Amino acid sequence: MSTIPESFPERVGRTLRDGRFTAVILLLPPALVLFSLFVIVPLAESGRYAFFDWNGYGEPADWVGFENFERMFGHSVFHQAIWNTIKLVLVSLLVQMPLALALALMIYRKTPTNAVFRLIFFLPFILAEIAAGLIWSFVFDGNYGVAAGITHAFGGEPYFVLGDRTWAFVAIMTVIVWKYFGFHMMIYIAALQGVPQDLVEAAKIEGAKTLDVVRHVQIPLIKPAIMVSAFFAIIGALQVFDVIIPLTNGGPSNSTQTVVTYLYTFGLSRLKIGFGSAVGIVLFLAAVLIAVFYQRFSNRAVSR
Amino acid sequence: MADVQLRQIAKSFGSVEVIPGLDLDIPDGSFTVLVGPSGCGKSTLLRIISGLERPTGGNVSIGGRDVTRDEPSKRGISMVFQSYALYPHMTVAQNIDFGLRLAKTPADERERRVAEAARILHLESLLDRKPAELSGGQRQRVAIGRSIVREPGVFLFDEPLSNLDAALRTQMRIELAQLHERFDATMVYVTHDQVEAMTLADQIVVMNGGSIEQVGAPMELYERPRTEFVATFIGSPKMNLLPARAVGRSDARNAGVRPEHIRLDKNGGDWLAEVVVVENLGSDTVVYLESEDFGPLTVRVAGHQSLASRARVWLTPEPEHVHLFDADGVRLP
Repeated sequence: MSTIPESFPERVGRTLRDGRFTAVILLLPPALVLFSLFVIVPLAESGRYAFFDWNGYGEPADWVGFENFERMFGHSVFHQAIWNTIKLVLVSLLVQMPLALALALMIYRKTPTNAVFRLIFFLPFILAEIAAGLIWSFVFDGNYGVAAGITHAFGGEPYFVLGDRTWAFVAIMTVIVWKYFGFHMMIYIAALQGVPQDLVEAAKIEGAKTLDVVRHVQIPLIKPAIMVSAFFAIIGALQVFDVIIPLTNGGPSNSTQTVVTYLYTFGLSRLKIGFGSAVGIVLFLAAVLIAVFYQRFSNRAVSR
Repeated sequence: MADVQLRQIAKSFGSVEVIPGLDLDIPDGSFTVLVGPSGCGKSTLLRIISGLERPTGGNVSIGGRDVTRDEPSKRGISMVFQSYALYPHMTVAQNIDFGLRLAKTPADERERRVAEAARILHLESLLDRKPAELSGGQRQRVAIGRSIVREPGVFLFDEPLSNLDAALRTQMRIELAQLHERFDATMVYVTHDQVEAMTLADQIVVMNGGSIEQVGAPMELYERPRTEFVATFIGSPKMNLLPARAVGRSDARNAGVRPEHIRLDKNGGDWLAEVVVVENLGSDTVVYLESEDFGPLTVRVAGHQSLASRARVWLTPEPEHVHLFDADGVRLP
């Protein structure tokens, strides 16, 4: 059956009549106003402050152009912060995600025992970051913590891992893996439970061992979940802040700074709002770049 | 090729006993259909044969070898699932040769077997497609292709046609029968559709409540059902069951007469009944009636029959086709 093409005035008339236009007029402004007030305006303001030397009081007046960016890119601590952030991204992708996937594969089936393990593994994620940081600072304490107990048991000298430039960031990465692997594990568990059991059984009949089933059936089928998890892991790693502050506060000698703690330490706490804004803009651009790259990559993966 | 022997097979899920204990012989090269109503344990029995389910008691032998504790892949079986169970991320060719790849079969051998399966199942032009790009019938063929390439001794089918429309189901039924003839392999097929059972099987196993009611050739089940359950389950429309007095017998409780074994006459006969609904199927007519003495009855007459609703007609059963059952529902000789 052929249909007569609709002219533009007819289409406009129909849209006005069928209530869609009214719905847009009524429902769009509140969301648009809120989004603009709390996202667009602060972002734009931050972008403006990045070009001023401003302490946060009064109107920014001291225009410095790209000086904040030049100082930031020339600062060795910023380099350290970038490197630490990259390390966090790598650990999230190469340690945290595989660990979460391995555990998810062990406990994704719906049994009462697995439900208990799921809760246990998810508990660190529920905990507030500051609380987690404080707990681990006691664990790592060389005088009174678990670390002290271990060194004492082996008859060693008290060792303060968070005060060691070489190992402090390793300790922080351990805490971050511990804190967030449960979140990724839950994403994988939900995805694994959605894999039809028939496919797993068919693979077993075809001669697939457990690892073959994981490799050839389960992982390919939960690929969209892995992509989402990777995205969260990267964006999360870029934003790590409140676990580090109670543990090391960026020290010793700025060796555990990340981009966000760097922003906080050298921008906000020193009342260098313009400088902090410049760091924020760089961080924002990095996140946008990753989001765009992810979108392209995931679209290509879906179309394949 | 291989025969399958089940001895004292029992299966419970927790406190629920699904199969209390049964014996079954599936001859080498036979097409055996397990049929029964939902929840009768037929799929569970198939899964026990496949090794996907462990029996709580008894033994499974395939080709004379006890495989009760063996992994599914070590039993020399293949299975076609109701959902097809195709891997959505693999192409048709990759789906078909998945098992061969796992078994590290040489590439040229794999290629040869996949090409042969594709030729038999008319899949040559679809080998590079993903399952999402295929129709239901094509997916079913790919699932069968995956079974064929492994050259198993026993093919297992778990309601493989139930997701297809009626026309495609008929076509696939014919193709399955041809495949059985071509491979001469042992096939075990689960269905709740007794038309599939009657047309495909050379041995039907009728199950009810986890037990086997009767095993036999399709026509044997049709002509000499051992129980009332088999009598009413096999045949469509199902057999009429009446009190035995309707046929003048006092030594039985019930008498069974198939709809096609009752003559319908407007002038005279044994039972008077009123027409309720008439279904003209073209080749024959199914008449649903209500008898004051014996309740609802069904009659099938050849060709087209014009009958008005509420018309009163006479029915006469063919005496040589009356089945008698005792108080336990067991056939009387």
